[in-house]
Formats: sequence, structure tokens, C-alpha cells
Amino acid sequence: MPRWGMVIDLNTCTGCGECAAACKIENNVAIVGPEESDMGRTMLWMDMLTEYEGEYPDVKIRYIPRPCLHCDDPPCTRVCPVRATYLNDEGIVAQIFPQCIGCRYCMAACPYTVKSFNWYRPEWPDTMESALNPDVSARPAGVVEKCTFCIHRLQKAKEQAAAENRDLRDGDYIPACAEACPTKAITFGDFEDPKTEVSRLRRTARAFRLLEELGTEPKVYYLYEVE
Amino acid sequence: MNGNEIAAKDDALFRSIEYTGKNFYYAVGIFVTVIAFAAFLYLGQIISGLGVTGMAQPVSWGFYIVNFVFFIGISHAGTLISAILRLSKAEWRRPITRMAEVITAIVLAIGGLHPILDLGQPGRIWHLATSGRLQSPLLWDVTSITAYFAASTVYLFLPLIPDIAILRDRGTKPRWLYQFLSWGWQGTPKQHKVLDRTINILMIGVIPIAVSVHTVISYIFAMTVQPGWHSTIFGPYFVVGAIFSGIAALLIVMIVFRRVYHLENYLKEIHFSYLSILLLIMSLLWFYFTFCEYLTTHYGNEPDEMRVFFYKFSGDFAPYFWAMIVCNFIIPVAILSNKKTRKIKGILFASFTVLIGMWLERLIIVVPSLANPRLGYPTGIYIPSITEWALFAGGIAVFMLGFLLFAKFFPLISVWEIQEGRASSIKEVAHRLRSYLPDELEEDDIKKALH
Amino acid sequence: MSSKTIKFLQYASIAWIWIFVLSVDIWIISLLIVARRLHDAINASVGIGIIAIPLFLLIASALTYVFFGLQKHREVDETRHGSL
Ligand code: SF4
Ligand code: SF4
Repeated sequence: MPRWGMVIDLNTCTGCGECAAACKIENNVAIVGPEESDMGRTMLWMDMLTEYEGEYPDVKIRYIPRPCLHCDDPPCTRVCPVRATYLNDEGIVAQIFPQCIGCRYCMAACPYTVKSFNWYRPEWPDTMESALNPDVSARPAGVVEKCTFCIHRLQKAKEQAAAENRDLRDGDYIPACAEACPTKAITFGDFEDPKTEVSRLRRTARAFRLLEELGTEPKVYYLYEVE
Repeated sequence: MNGNEIAAKDDALFRSIEYTGKNFYYAVGIFVTVIAFAAFLYLGQIISGLGVTGMAQPVSWGFYIVNFVFFIGISHAGTLISAILRLSKAEWRRPITRMAEVITAIVLAIGGLHPILDLGQPGRIWHLATSGRLQSPLLWDVTSITAYFAASTVYLFLPLIPDIAILRDRGTKPRWLYQFLSWGWQGTPKQHKVLDRTINILMIGVIPIAVSVHTVISYIFAMTVQPGWHSTIFGPYFVVGAIFSGIAALLIVMIVFRRVYHLENYLKEIHFSYLSILLLIMSLLWFYFTFCEYLTTHYGNEPDEMRVFFYKFSGDFAPYFWAMIVCNFIIPVAILSNKKTRKIKGILFASFTVLIGMWLERLIIVVPSLANPRLGYPTGIYIPSITEWALFAGGIAVFMLGFLLFAKFFPLISVWEIQEGRASSIKEVAHRLRSYLPDELEEDDIKKALH
Repeated sequence: MSSKTIKFLQYASIAWIWIFVLSVDIWIISLLIVARRLHDAINASVGIGIIAIPLFLLIASALTYVFFGLQKHREVDETRHGSL
């Protein structure tokens, strides 16, 4: 069984936000109006965190792209009363939209605050309605959603590989954010296989994980910037 | 003895049932209006989604969860206090227990429904039945609240049976209701024995259930790893807070209904004085727990915890936090520790501040932890919407309406227990006293002491 | 309402309480099975089950005991209006 994971190089990341935009389009993430946005109801499966380090005037700003970290011991799935979110065999933390009752307990329990909730029925401007990705199911109002590592792409890659009668190769399955990044800062692949690029990168000395001390074992690694 | 004779003396207790004034209809009208308004707004929430509330990311829980914890807390007044007073054979419990138990049953039903108000997809609630998972603290809640509700309604009903029989024998209408509910009670000694035995078993059983309910509610928060929530003290802290707010609610209800139904003969100053001392003790206990909770956080000085801590102490939530300390500790202690102010009016005031303070406490537990996520997000804001306020008011109105309707059909003070008290408690207490004392007391000495 | 109907209603309500309690217990048991199938934290589930299942039975038994106890210890004088 593969264990899918991601490595994001903060040295090459410029904070342009291309990944977040690509994610929104790929996954039919709803676009909320400015008022709602001000209230804090923006929906972003891939968010851009801004961390300030040091004291003025010596501040360093750091941009950190943040998908769901797909924890190997996820606090969010443990609390779900109906198993609408669970860790699947390949290490992806999935959401089952038709199962979710919308209690938002998983949102409260996620230490990384990555989940979004459909406060209203998701809506898009008319011009976009026709451009929705048919591979990703639409969400009703009142359910929680978050990054799925573009799990529909895994499905497609598997079908493709089966059609060509071969195993899945490194690079066959890449989420939209990794594909869109202009500086190739996001690497994606199988952690189980030591020969993949991600496995190599996550073993380098620059690798770290967010809030590692919580023991959630996230499968998204970051690489420190080099001075 | 015939029901009519025994009850004649306590006619005042039946007045609310047998006589319906205009004010009753006015009150019902007001409460029904408030409830209808709340129901209307709730309908809007179902149709358009939870967006009509003030919740957002990261503050994804708001009033509904706050009120859930608050209402369930109040429900601890009842059964727990009544069970403890019964268990400790406190004679002054007799006119109090019934009201306490009624509060529990009604408020528990209201509180228990609050998480449903909070659901984004309330129509899918049956998923809990088909694929619920017992490892989620929410399911622990569902189970323990159901158990507590079942136990406390039974615990309310059983001591009600002899009173229902009195009503039946008085021929109060609707007769069929009282015939149906009185279960053939005739007050024979053997029937008394059966009833007493069962009440005794239940009163012991209901205490651990009550404690477990609020412990488990605190676990919703404590089982996560979020700063400000992940604390071992939460279980007992919530239980203490629950009993604290419960006693305050009980005192308010007692004072109000004493006034409305002219029960001054039954609920005397002494009852309020005793209960308010209990309130005072709980206030001190509550402060002790609060102190422990925040001192450990502060001394540990963990950055994420400290962010939530300062958010409460000097940040956006400081006004609420300090108001809570004033309402829960400073005012009640000042009023209740002084014999001169420990009068009905003072007690009423202190009880109100305690209720407000405890509600603030629930708010302060739920919101600040959510508003201050660990990673570099902006601090969350939460401004409750009109829907949330309306549903809060609706919840309170349901409680008052429920209580009023109960008082319309059943006596608010346990008639038979009062009568039993008249008939036998002096002897019993004298007997008990004799067993405490070091030397044998003669029958004459007791008589002399009584006069 | 005739005393027969009322008697019937009383028995029906006792039956209803048992139906309620048993369905809660069956629900908890089914959740235990779900927990096993999904490899959930089984100890938490079993812990709750062990306490909750007998508890509900106890509550229903208490009520039933009182009901039949009161019925049995009546003075047999069906003409008195207090006989129900
Ligand atoms: S990052 Fe949050 S949502 Fe994602 S798996 Fe971990 S706990 Fe769950
Ligand atoms: S909001 Fe949905 S996915 Fe999250 S815990 Fe509740 S039911 Fe589960």
C-alpha cells in the first residue's frame, strides 16, 4: 500500500498563491462574496499562511502553503460521530459528504484549522458554473470539506495505469497544486517507496513538519529556506 | 385516610391546578409567541443553511453549543440536589425536591436538543442511529444524556404518584389523566414500601449518572488537543459549575413561584437561607477550580495556551472574563456571606448574577479557544446573529412554558411528603438525635426540649 | 373513560417503556458492532456499553416493579373510585 505525502520547499516557494487558485478550480470549491469573506467564511482547501518571525524592524515574513496535512494519526477523524471523515488505506484523510451531519466537531478538533464549512449552498458566478470539474462531487449546504489530495486524480491515474497494464509510477498521481506551482516547490508522491523524490526530500536535514510535537504525524513536510 | 381529608389542609398547593387565572393565559401567550418567533427563524436556518448565524471559521461553534452546555448545567440542579438532600435525610428538602426535579426534566430536554440546532444537516441525524461511532465524545453525550433524561423523569414521576392519587380522589379534571397516571395508588403500607424502596434505589443511581453527564460534556472539549480545552480538570470543573448554576436556577424558580402561587407557608426564609449557603459554597468551590485551571496554564507558559489565556485576561474577551469573576464570585460571596443581605431579595439578585456569570463562563470556554488557532491565522471574530439570540430566548421560553404547564397539572410541592413530614418527621428526627448523643435521652427530656 | 381503557393504557405505557429501553440497548449493541468493524477505539465503546446497557434495563425494571407492586398491594375494592 502506498502512503501518499507531500513535501513543500519554502525556499523555492514565492508565496504567489497559484497553488491555492488551482486547487479552488480543480475541486469546485465555492466562491463566497466579500461580506461573507470578511466574516471569515472564505473557503480554501489550500491556504497561504503568513508567519511573522522576529521583532520589528527585523521581521521576516514567511509564506507557508497549507493543504490538509493528512495526519497519520488524525485528531479530526477520531471525533467524528458518524465516520464522515476517515483515514483510508493509502493514508489519505477523506471526507464523505453525503454522510456528514455538519456538527463541525472535526473543525474544532483539527489543530491546524484546515477545514471549511458550507455555511450556505455553494455558489459560483454563472460563467464558472459550466466549467465545474465533473470529477469532484458537489457539496450541499451544511457539510464540512477540506483538501483530499485530489483523490479523484488518484482514481484516474490508477485507471490509466490499469489500461496500460502497468503499476503506478512516481509522478503519475499529482494533485492540482503541485502541478500548478510555477517554481515546482511542491513535490508529491509515495512515502512508502524509498526511491521516490518525496521520500528523498523528507529525509533531508531541512525537512520539518508543522506542530510536530502534537504527535499527529502529518504527511506534509516542509523544507526550511536556506539563507 | 381519605384523599380529600388529608389534602384539605394543603389546599394552597392545589390552587394552581384547580384555579386558572387570566394571568396564566397571558403568560402562556407570551411564551408561545417567543417560541413561535424562534421556530420561524430556525426554519429560515434550515432552509438557507447555518450561514444565518454568526459562526464562521475559525469560530465554528457559537451560541448553540454554549447554550447546550449551559442548559445541561442547569439541569443538574434538580435531580442531583434532590437526591443528595434525600440521601442526607435533610428534613427541609420536602417542599424543594419536586421543583428541582421538574427543572431537571424540562431543561435537560431543551439542552439535549441544542446540538441538533447546531447541525448543518439536521435531516441526517438518523446517521447516528445507523452508523454512529462510540469513540466520538459526541456519542458519549448522546448516551449519557438519554440515560439521565430517562432516569430523571422516572425520578420525577415516582414521588409524584401519591400526589396524582390525591388529585384523582379530589376529582380534579381531567380525571382520566390522573386515573391513568396514579397507577392504582391507595397509600397502603405495602404500596408505600414498594415506592420508598424504588425511590431509594433511584436516588443513589441518579447521582453518578448526573455527575457523568456533565463530565462527558466537558470531554467534548477536553478530548481535543486545542489550547484552553485540553485539560484534565475539565470534568470536575464542569460538574461544579453545573451544580452551581443549577442551584441558582432553582432558587430563582422557587422565589418566583412562591410569589405567584402564594406558597409562603411552605417555602420559608429558612429554605432559601439553607440553599443559598449551598450556593455560597459552590461559588467558593467554583472559584477554586477556576483559579487552579488558570494558574496552571499561566505558570506553564506554553505559547499557544498563553495566547488563549491573554485573549481572556486582557484581550477581546476580557470584559466577559472579568464580568464572569464578578458575577460568579464577588457578588454572590459579598451578598451571601452576610447575614443581613442573605434575604430573599439578595438571594434572588445573587442567583441572577450567578446564572449570567455561568453563561459567560460557557461562552468563555467555547469561543476563545476556537478564535485563537495555533497556526498563523488571523484571530477569529464571533458576533451572534439575531437567529441565535432568538433561539436562546426561545429555549428560555420553552422552559418557562413547560414549568407553567407542569404547575397547571401537578402540584409543585410534594403534598404527600409534606404530610408525611408533619406526621412523622419530628419523631424521626428526635429519634435520630438521640442516636447521635453520647448519653441516653429520656422521652421526657425530648418533650421538655420541644416546649 | 372507562376503567378498562385506562387499565389498557397503563399496560401499554409500561410496554412502551420497555420498547424504548430495549431499542436504546439494541442501538448501543449495534454501535459496538460498528466499532468493531471499523477498528475504532473498541475499549471506549465497550466501556460505555457495559455501563449504559444495564442502566437502561434498571430504569425500566424500576418502573415495572413499582407498577406491578402497586397493583398487587391494592385493597381489593373495585367499587371505590380510587381503585385504578
Ligand atoms: S490536518 Fe487537520 S483535517 Fe487534516 S488530517 Fe490533520 S487533523 Fe485532520
Ligand atoms: S462535521 Fe461532518 S465530518 Fe466533521 S465531525 Fe461532524 S459529521 Fe464528521
